[in-house]
Amino acid sequence: MSASPTGAVENLAARLRRFLGANLEGALEIRIDNLAPITAGNARQAWEFDVRWLERSEERKVRCVMLRKAEAGQLETDLVPEFRIISALWDSGVPVARALWMDSEGRWLERPAFIMEKVAGVTDLPALLKPESAGSSRAIAQQLAAIAARLHTVDWSKLGVDFLPATTPETAAARQISYWESLFLKHRMEPHPVMTAAFIWLKEHPPVAGRISIVHGDFRFGNFLYEGDRINAMLDWEMVHLGDPVEDLAWAYRSLWGPQAFFPLDEFVVRYTELSGIPVPYETLRFYRLLGEVKHSIISLTGARSFMDGRTRNLFLADRASTTTGYLMQFLDWLPE
Amino acid sequence: MSLRESVLPEIPAGPTRRQIQAAIGIIRRVSAVWDKTGPYLYADNKDIEETLRQVGVMIERAESNGCGADLEPLRQRLAAALDRGGQRDVEYPSPAALGARNVELQGLLVELQEALHGASSPEGTGRPASAERIEIVTTLRALLRRMLKREMEITAPPSARK
Repeated sequence: MSASPTGAVENLAARLRRFLGANLEGALEIRIDNLAPITAGNARQAWEFDVRWLERSEERKVRCVMLRKAEAGQLETDLVPEFRIISALWDSGVPVARALWMDSEGRWLERPAFIMEKVAGVTDLPALLKPESAGSSRAIAQQLAAIAARLHTVDWSKLGVDFLPATTPETAAARQISYWESLFLKHRMEPHPVMTAAFIWLKEHPPVAGRISIVHGDFRFGNFLYEGDRINAMLDWEMVHLGDPVEDLAWAYRSLWGPQAFFPLDEFVVRYTELSGIPVPYETLRFYRLLGEVKHSIISLTGARSFMDGRTRNLFLADRASTTTGYLMQFLDWLPE
Repeated sequence: MSLRESVLPEIPAGPTRRQIQAAIGIIRRVSAVWDKTGPYLYADNKDIEETLRQVGVMIERAESNGCGADLEPLRQRLAAALDRGGQRDVEYPSPAALGARNVELQGLLVELQEALHGASSPEGTGRPASAERIEIVTTLRALLRRMLKREMEITAPPSARK
């Protein structure tokens, strides 16, 4: 027998009270108000709520967002690195939400989850890409270049990010190829000779990174909160890793979400390099743009596979494999002769 | 009235409405392509078979030039798979049979590419001369592009696009 929606919310609120009771030392009369799902993403469920409590007779209140692992989705990612990276970046100059509490094993909240302070703003990607938004979207794209510059020049060796696998300039590309190929081989539903061709080309042409940086992994329009023409926080850090920073630039300019129409890629690169001092070699950018098409294809295949295996009933994933055709056509179009 | 016009307006915004939208999208795409699947698979299989025959000839040529010996087992497997006939044996093969043959042919393409990649690695021996390899890779790349174009007609036909 499944719980009614109201029952599910009450159940979650009760779990949150118990979880926060264990994490808020000395807190009394913990209350959870306005608990509601936020509609976003396929891999995680997002909920917002207000938590109030008494601490030494003073009322404290925090507006929160909880990210909780969904049933199987597009990517099987671990929430722990995401929580840890936004914690590490809190005072770095990279805009992130404040990470608050983590239930890494789902002992309290049914599934692994973490809670961060709510940040004002929206993620509305369609609004950003409308022609009538060109002015403010150009300003936002310029900020995105600045955020990338800041992120990629953070001295990660001093941030305690040892939870991210180490890599070197010589192996950064190969590590990414290996990661995505293993996912592909695990989730493919047919032999897929086009993907085979793509991986062969990538393996034969890996660039050497100019430097190793923290790479967001899903750096793009649609993955930040903004108000007007100001970015308030970068979101969705679940693909974060150490690697070649050019990877983030390439991903940001995929045709699905890129701001090419009002801030062309070459202008973005110029601004990024001016602010960061990091050069962006053409061949490296091309490599990561090609890898980006393969990455998104695999993300789609993984989602489709999870639907086919019955691990999710999300109908958006039922037909997701059909999206790979366009990505792979783009890959072939960009391949040098 | 379509489902989009008659059902969606009755459902408030939220996860349920979005799932209904996804379902409508799937139904639309299926209705646009259900009768095209058989011809698509038939054309795809025919193209792959013809291309693999051409590649077999290229590999034979490389062998007669004194290189590509390590591709001989694969060339024989290709020849055997092509000689088995696939859809040529049946006048009106079913979509299921066409699909099974398509998966088999895809597997051969994967095997061929991996063998060529392995043969061109520094550890490979008897690798085809560079000109033959380039010709094979160019031929395969052209095939893959044609496969994707056909697939695009099935996965994103104009009638099913928003």
